[in-house]
Amino acid sequence: MNHRLVLRQGPPLRVDARALTPALLGALSADEVRRLRLPHGREGVMLAELFDVRPGRDDGQHALVLEGDLSRFDAIGAGLAEGTMEVHGPVGDAAGLGMSGGRLLIRGDARDLAGCAMRGGWLEVDGSIGDLGASALPGERDGMRGGTLVVRGAAGHRLADHMRRGTVVVFGDAGDFVASRMVAGTLALAGRCGVHAGFGMRRGTVLFAGPAPEPAASFVPVNSDAPVFWQLLARDLARFGGPFDGLSKRRVDRWAGDLAVLGHGELLIPH
Amino acid sequence: MQRRGITIDDTFAEAFPMKATRLVITAHNATWAMHAAVAATGFATSVIACGCEAGIERELEAGQTPDGRPGVAVLMFAVSGKELAKQIERRVGQCVLTCPTTAVFAGLAEGEPANLGRNLRFFGDGWQTSKVIGGVRYWRVPVMDGEFVAQESTPVIKGVGGGNLLLLATGTDAALAGAEAAVAAMRRVPNVILPFPGGVVRSGSKVGSKYAALPASTNDAFCPSLTHLAPRTELDADVRCVLEIVIDGLAETDVAAAMRAGLAALVERGAEAGVRRVSAGNYGGKLGPFHFHLHRLEPAEDAR
Repeated sequence: MNHRLVLRQGPPLRVDARALTPALLGALSADEVRRLRLPHGREGVMLAELFDVRPGRDDGQHALVLEGDLSRFDAIGAGLAEGTMEVHGPVGDAAGLGMSGGRLLIRGDARDLAGCAMRGGWLEVDGSIGDLGASALPGERDGMRGGTLVVRGAAGHRLADHMRRGTVVVFGDAGDFVASRMVAGTLALAGRCGVHAGFGMRRGTVLFAGPAPEPAASFVPVNSDAPVFWQLLARDLARFGGPFDGLSKRRVDRWAGDLAVLGHGELLIPH
Repeated sequence: MQRRGITIDDTFAEAFPMKATRLVITAHNATWAMHAAVAATGFATSVIACGCEAGIERELEAGQTPDGRPGVAVLMFAVSGKELAKQIERRVGQCVLTCPTTAVFAGLAEGEPANLGRNLRFFGDGWQTSKVIGGVRYWRVPVMDGEFVAQESTPVIKGVGGGNLLLLATGTDAALAGAEAAVAAMRRVPNVILPFPGGVVRSGSKVGSKYAALPASTNDAFCPSLTHLAPRTELDADVRCVLEIVIDGLAETDVAAAMRAGLAALVERGAEAGVRRVSAGNYGGKLGPFHFHLHRLEPAEDAR
């Protein structure tokens, strides 16, 4: 059965919430869910001490709903492979860490490392995310490798650092070093970004649907259009709506780089 | 069976399973898309020696293609998936990649994937890039007019090849006019191609030959010059010209629909137009699993 977990009060320490997946909890009764132990600081805590466990909507799909201020809960939806998880409220670090499938919808803010090392699935954050969204875990070389990350608010620094595959769509602003060391994949940004966009990117695409930064000296203009690719990309991004709708009617300038590395990446600047 | 004076033989067309795919070729305008499609489907009349049978299925409006440009849908059929893959690569590589402004996409939703841009990308000599958009991988190859975009693979499905109609007419003019009318009607049917020149073949063949090296030879039973000579003939004295229309389709129902449309167009013209009899080619029913009986493809009521 599907469950709805309503936070009664915030925990005093940080909680590792990666055990809370729709598939796992869907196989448990409400009592079994209440008896789950979650890592809490250096100890563990019974789920029932933190949450009221209520029945969720049952439509044949695995679905899990969390409600409340979960900003002290890290790794929510980490490793998610199937089913839908919806969080009404802010969450902590590493939401959707390494998820490979399913849908994780966060109706609030997420902190650092959201969608980090993601391999598939759909992660949507209605609020803003912290630094290193869709990037690699510290010390690792593989960032996001598949799936889709949608951020309705803003993103912090190092967004899509080391990203290798997949799509990141940000409606708001982003910090410094967006798509730094990007290996491939697509980042579409509607707001402003900080300095050093595309720093060290090897391949991949960064699209500035809104205000675009001045490309760095290690990027060169491309003297031909890519109308087919642009239409394919713009028509696909149109499904996100808002600033990404109508891109296909605009013309686009392309810049190739970062020439300090492979230089097969591109910055797309519609006008 | 007689319809408007035309004799419809109690026989059937015998067709074979083939591997098939649809490609969508787009370009800056319809003219260049058509140039590429014509070239890519050239020399593709019969698998006997062309490697595949291919043809233009229909033209596509800008709103019907993945990149919003005008395009052409082509169908390709071969005897095996391996041979089809080889033909796709050769034909797209030589005729689409080379044609100004073109791009090529898969035109079927499901099937066994065969390489489309996957190997053509190496033409890019390291400058090629791949892009996954909406879950589909495309290859972008820099070329002198910009870049060539090709979807990585195209689905291959089981198709049906060798549906046919034989038009027995009183002379060349009558046979050509009848064939042209039937071809025009059949080309309006989706999911089929008529791979021969103008949709029509005059050298219908039988299996085997007196020469051991040849797998097929002229269909002497339908050659009017041999009516009084060949040991077996299908023709009467008033038949002076026979033409055949061959149909390949993505499904049995598509081939049947095309044959029905062709038959209806012939019947509508009536026997006075010169096509006196309609027959079909088969090998006795033992070779091909698909049998299209002409009497079961009767033209719709309003066309009689």
